[in-house]
Amino acid sequence: MAMKKFVNKPEDLVKELLEGYALAFPQKVKLAGSNLVVRARPKAAGKVGVVTLGGSGHEPALSGFVGEGMLDISVAGEIFAAPGPPRVLEALKMADRGAGVLFIVLNHAGDVMSAKVVMEMVKKQDLAVKMMLTHEDIAGGPRNKPDNRRGLVGCVPVMKVAGAAAEAGKSLDQCLAIAERMSNNMATLAVAMGPATHPSTGQALFTLADDEMEIGLGQHGEPGTGSMKIKTADATADAMLGRLLGDLQVKKGEQLLVLLNGAGATTLMELFIVYRRAAQVLKEKGIVLAAGAVDEFLTVQEMAGFQMCIVRMDKELLELWNAPCDTPYLTVR
Amino acid sequence: MVETIGRDGVVRMLRGAVEKIRAGHETLSKLDSVIGDGDHGTTMVRAMGLVEKTVTACAAPDLQGLLHDVGWAVMGVDGGAAGPLLGSLLMGMAEGVGGRQQLDAAGLAAVFEAGLAQVRTYTQAQVGDKTMLDALVPAVEALRAAAQAGQGVAAAMARAADAAERGAAATTDLQARFGRARNLGERSRGFADPGATSVSLIFRGFADALAPPC
Repeated sequence: MAMKKFVNKPEDLVKELLEGYALAFPQKVKLAGSNLVVRARPKAAGKVGVVTLGGSGHEPALSGFVGEGMLDISVAGEIFAAPGPPRVLEALKMADRGAGVLFIVLNHAGDVMSAKVVMEMVKKQDLAVKMMLTHEDIAGGPRNKPDNRRGLVGCVPVMKVAGAAAEAGKSLDQCLAIAERMSNNMATLAVAMGPATHPSTGQALFTLADDEMEIGLGQHGEPGTGSMKIKTADATADAMLGRLLGDLQVKKGEQLLVLLNGAGATTLMELFIVYRRAAQVLKEKGIVLAAGAVDEFLTVQEMAGFQMCIVRMDKELLELWNAPCDTPYLTVR
Repeated sequence: MVETIGRDGVVRMLRGAVEKIRAGHETLSKLDSVIGDGDHGTTMVRAMGLVEKTVTACAAPDLQGLLHDVGWAVMGVDGGAAGPLLGSLLMGMAEGVGGRQQLDAAGLAAVFEAGLAQVRTYTQAQVGDKTMLDALVPAVEALRAAAQAGQGVAAAMARAADAAERGAAATTDLQARFGRARNLGERSRGFADPGATSVSLIFRGFADALAPPC
């Protein structure tokens, strides 16, 4: 079957999407150096820089969150593939405003490999960079084996609080501690109903029968806990939230951030219906829904499904989550 | 029999690898479409494009400078783990070669061993995990064994290419334990690993470039 996507030459995809993105938000972002997405106005000197890397094809992630109060630079790789170390090193140097750089990496094989090589070079060049991994996909394995847990949409709230801490003038160690605390109190689970098509090869990333869904499926169709017949929004929300609350061992009276991320083809209508149920369940359990977000943050082309991310919040994390930020795809005033 | 090679010989080897990958990229993408997302062939073609460009433009007169520049270029391929792994192989080789300008078979084996050591600092994968190491490790071992047996550079590299091909073929029955394919579990069996297959093509390209004309 022919691929139904509005694209030009496959080899130009990433270059063209970054160009278009920068043109669409000239007040907030621009391209610099080797196709790095940077803030339109650099952060004030003396503040910690925040940098991430990741494959393309997940728009608006990750470059959508470059801007005041969040990321300073995003290094976009090829479609679903991490950028190589040279451009990442360039970004880390560029983002250093004299207070060091927090480098946020999602736990995926290629991303981590590239980041490790970069960190070796950072050591040799005596740059002040601290790297942290996000790995909150509870379908990947038990909490005590974080290496098996993939980084899903939870990177976005981590970038939000880390970015706010950096903007507030906190030190590199303080920013890292905040990002780690957020990350350690986070759990995400994905559900898929239909596959994404690789936009340059035209290949479907996985298959699911017409009447089936799968909980725990990874960002690129990595298998989850087995397919099942499609459930209602309420039943899906109950199943996913139940597992997330269990994993994080959330107790009555604790405060939660709940974030729903559409994978590409699932509508906001569906996400709101799921969110409504999640809020009901939390109320029944006496858990405080302290903050929330429903949107497409990290998509996988036209994949059908969503990710549910919960974070146990404290006073400081909530303040940082609610602090102003001004990026193309997340704004807090 | 080629007894030693210098910068020119290494350039020929690298160009040989470029040629072999270009000829085999569709096979690589097909293999990757089973256990990955089908882009390994295009990633490797982009990597080899960078190799060719760097080899042509490299101003460094010495072997170390050449290998370093080519390694750094491959690192920048933006194609997931392939760039850092192949790039670190080449950059490790650059460190290993030091100031030497001519390599005999033993010297070449030592340089590849240094490259492999560098790769190992970035991955915990071992032979049997269905990764590029399944081809790379036996190739380097065969290079060393051939050198110890007194073979020349060209013959030793031919043995290395044979070993890489056997290693890549043997990944067919293995279950992936690293990279994105790991998540497929049992479903990753039945096809050769694309990364290992790439490495076998690269070594065959090296060997063909050094083979005496017949």
